Amino acid sequence: MGSAQSVPPEMRALAERTGFTSEQIEQLHRRFKQLNHNRKTIRKEDFDTIPDLEFNPIRARIVHAFFDKRNLRKAPAGLAEEINFEDFLTIMSYFRPIEMDMDEERLESFRKEKLKFLFHMYDADYDGIITLQEYKNVLDELMSGNPHLEKESLRAIAEGAMLEAASACMARTGPDEVYEGITFEDFLKVWKGIDIETKMHVRFLTMEAIAHCY
Amino acid sequence: MRSLDAGCSVPVPHLADAHILPSLPVFHLSRKVTSVVPESCLLILLGLGLGGIVLAVAKKPKYQLEPNMFFLFLLPPIVLDSGYFMPSRLFFDNIGAILTYAVVGTLWNSFTTGTALWGLHQAGLMADPGVEAGLMDFLLFGSLISAVDPVAVLAVFEEVHVNETLFIIVFGESLLNDAVTVVLYKVFNSFVELGPAHIHATDYVKGVASFFLVSLGGTAVGLLFAFLLALITRFTKRVRIIEPLFVFLLAYVAYLAAEMVSLSAILAVTFCGICCKKYVEANISQKSRTTVKYTMKTLASSSETIIFMFLGMSAVDTSKWAWDTALVLGTLFFILLFRAVGVVLQTYVLNRFRLIPLDRIDQVVMSYGGLRGAVAFALVILLDEAKVKAKDYFVATTIVVVFFTVIVQGLTIKPLVTWLKVKRSDHHKPTLNEELHEHAFDHILAAVEDIVGHHGYHYWRDKWEQFDKKYLSQLLMRKSAYKLRDEIWDVYYKLNIRDAISFVDQGGHVLSAAKLALPSMPSRTSMSESSVTNLLRESGSGACLDLQVIDTVRSRRDKEDAAMHHVLRGSLYKPRRRYKASYSRHFISPDKQERQDKEIFRQNMKRRLETFKSTKHNVCSSKSKARLKEKGRKKKNISLPSDAPNGRTHRNVPWQEAAPVLVTVSSDEEESDSSETEREDDEGIVFVARATDEVLQGKTTPGSLDVCPSPCIIPPSPTLAEKELPWKGDQADLAVYVSSETTKIVPVDMQKAWNQSISSLESIASPPGIETGAQHRRFARPMLEKQPQSASQATPEQVSRFQFPSHISKSSRSKSDSSPEGAEQQELQPLMGTEEQGRGLPPAEHRRLAFSRASHI
Repeated sequence: MGSAQSVPPEMRALAERTGFTSEQIEQLHRRFKQLNHNRKTIRKEDFDTIPDLEFNPIRARIVHAFFDKRNLRKAPAGLAEEINFEDFLTIMSYFRPIEMDMDEERLESFRKEKLKFLFHMYDADYDGIITLQEYKNVLDELMSGNPHLEKESLRAIAEGAMLEAASACMARTGPDEVYEGITFEDFLKVWKGIDIETKMHVRFLTMEAIAHCY
Repeated sequence: MRSLDAGCSVPVPHLADAHILPSLPVFHLSRKVTSVVPESCLLILLGLGLGGIVLAVAKKPKYQLEPNMFFLFLLPPIVLDSGYFMPSRLFFDNIGAILTYAVVGTLWNSFTTGTALWGLHQAGLMADPGVEAGLMDFLLFGSLISAVDPVAVLAVFEEVHVNETLFIIVFGESLLNDAVTVVLYKVFNSFVELGPAHIHATDYVKGVASFFLVSLGGTAVGLLFAFLLALITRFTKRVRIIEPLFVFLLAYVAYLAAEMVSLSAILAVTFCGICCKKYVEANISQKSRTTVKYTMKTLASSSETIIFMFLGMSAVDTSKWAWDTALVLGTLFFILLFRAVGVVLQTYVLNRFRLIPLDRIDQVVMSYGGLRGAVAFALVILLDEAKVKAKDYFVATTIVVVFFTVIVQGLTIKPLVTWLKVKRSDHHKPTLNEELHEHAFDHILAAVEDIVGHHGYHYWRDKWEQFDKKYLSQLLMRKSAYKLRDEIWDVYYKLNIRDAISFVDQGGHVLSAAKLALPSMPSRTSMSESSVTNLLRESGSGACLDLQVIDTVRSRRDKEDAAMHHVLRGSLYKPRRRYKASYSRHFISPDKQERQDKEIFRQNMKRRLETFKSTKHNVCSSKSKARLKEKGRKKKNISLPSDAPNGRTHRNVPWQEAAPVLVTVSSDEEESDSSETEREDDEGIVFVARATDEVLQGKTTPGSLDVCPSPCIIPPSPTLAEKELPWKGDQADLAVYVSSETTKIVPVDMQKAWNQSISSLESIASPPGIETGAQHRRFARPMLEKQPQSASQATPEQVSRFQFPSHISKSSRSKSDSSPEGAEQQELQPLMGTEEQGRGLPPAEHRRLAFSRASHI
């Protein structure tokens, strides 16, 4: 499929589905080929060749998200070995900016989609709940850039955050109730204060930048 | 540009301020009024009223808003405040739009307004023959009238609460357009002075060049001073008290320096504030942070008040007015029109680049929010009447424009925002989760940009953060601060403080999160309590809040604690107290000491107490169980409001460490008759003084509380020594104690004052009953009375004292070997000193180190 998108109807279908313009798709395709050295699919190792990504503390997790079948809308769980260009576009479409003419409803679903992507990034075991351990793992990676923070404090922060989420989401908890972890609904609540739709976006359309980005 | 030479006019207006300032709170009081009318409007109206009164009484207008006073004294605090507290992330996220509006927008406004007014004049619509002005004059006027004013914008928009993007764009524009205004004003002013005939093409080029010079130069000055400031605060660990001073001083010096070399001073201070904040906040102590915050806010709002008041009062001076209806109406019309047109045009262009476009409603608010203010007024007053013939007309017009924008637009913008359903910002405190997610989010976006291969905003921000982390922060932050520097950690820490404060406010019962029952959360079954702080405490990290720590400790090990307390109280009560005091003190201020130190301290402390307890337990087994229980209860209740009558209220303060030595000591004396437990968590600053105090107190206790055989303190031989000592009253007594180690902290004159306050309090507030007697005894030192007591209790104390023979022998103080107080103090201090610093040094030396360090805090 990777090579097929040059055909206009194919392209149009892609554009339709992912919301990108044909220009952007072309752009992304060029980058796609650059990353996988002109093969049809892209594998995890290909991401290792991106030099700037090296310093990203949660790099593994982000790359992982590209292969997550939930994000690819293919299966409720599991990890893909390799993704083709269409999948690549699907992932990228999570990072599209909002458009002027979006109505409330579409905005809401747009927002939910973006959040779902993030949620999947935390929820590593596909059970729909971010457990404390999962949260801690993310935090661990996130803070790996700071060697001075001890594991203990990390744990404390994770627990504090979990508690906070619990207090925000379960107002009416009884003393013996158990807070299992953050469900997607809770996740939405946690993110309520942040305008994700105005933040989670990347500019896709700059030609010259790609030229000197190896 | 503005000249710097006239400072002499300042005192007079400031005299008036004293009367004016109290009116500000009045507005705050009546919420109904201020919810409708912005404060700035009220202040202007009040100024008008006051001006009228002054005019009626003095027969001539007084108290003008002097440009020099304005630019030198009133404006800098406001700009510094807005720069320092600018949400920098938001600011830099929108820097493109802000710069566009600030530069292009202001240029557009100046030229169009000036030209249109000139056209109006050419068309002969300005009837008044006094309006003698050419194109240059009008352009000059246009330049000063077109700039959106930061003070006015801030005053109005802070109350409106539009969404943060909108706010930062309007406000950022108003701050940054200063450079443009200043340059345009200066250029046109010189053009007017030269006369249109003598202007060459090179002058225009110079004008353009000077714009870049002024704005970039101002920014550079600001950055330079921000760097200096951050660097200086890195080395103020021992002089915490002057940290806030440095912040204000250097920011002001940045302003003056920029002003002196004719660069944009507002830009300098703004960028100084924005850039230094991160490092300064990390370096300075919590106390200094609070000081800086409140002082800055106070100064800024005072300046704002004064500015608006004086705007009102200046308007009364009709001698400067020269009214031309066409000019006034024309100006009003044009500034509104061109602002709107400019905003729409620029937004049209900007939206092609912005990922999140500014919609129509935003544009309306932006054009309507273009308030003019005191900057325009001060600039128009600065005009030279000899050169600019129509100055009086311009002054009148400016006043009308300022009044119109501040009052009419200020009044209507709130209904407008509501009516247009502009997205409001919900001001909520950052939560840990949000911070966490946003943090992760930034990395994700940067990563996706990397993958897409586009070096966009996130990419560069990521790069900048890496650079900052690697080099800048290392250079500008204290090691201890740098190590702990992490946004997530910061938020966590702040949340804990918030929790603690609310905890204390609610009488020590409820934590924001404590109500939640999470103990059953599967992965943290080990947790017995569910407060965030408790988690932190368990994790052993240093950023814990003392109060809660103490409290959780108590609730956790109530029984054990009570027992220990009892034991300690019986045999060696003070160390426990002291331990508490220092315990809380060191937790309070994580930046005072490195965390490792604290870690050692705490572990040490625990171990010591453990051994301490075990040894002591054998010694004093004679205690009554009832007493034990009672004590335990007391300890438990310690933070409950019921203790407040005992002068306990100030206990909530200790973790702020705010009390000066004298105050605390005296308050301590006040409560000396109340339960002993109160003492144990007093703040650290005083604790040297307290040491002596506690020792003194120790003597009284046997008299007052004979149930407990404790205070011991007085073995037989010491009494002999005591007799020999030169007791000339409290003075001498205290001098002995204080001089032994507090001289570094408490100067001699203060010691006297201290003693006096003690004795006066003693006489005033001496409570009835046995305790009174005991108390007096303590200061008047009737030796005879004391002897029997001490003799009776000698044995236990002696035994307990021998637990620490090494400390006694190490002591070098004059009294220590013979007097009981000395002995006791020694027992206390090793606990303090060594633990605090680690184990390296001998206790005696160490103690001193520790104390002198504490005194610097």
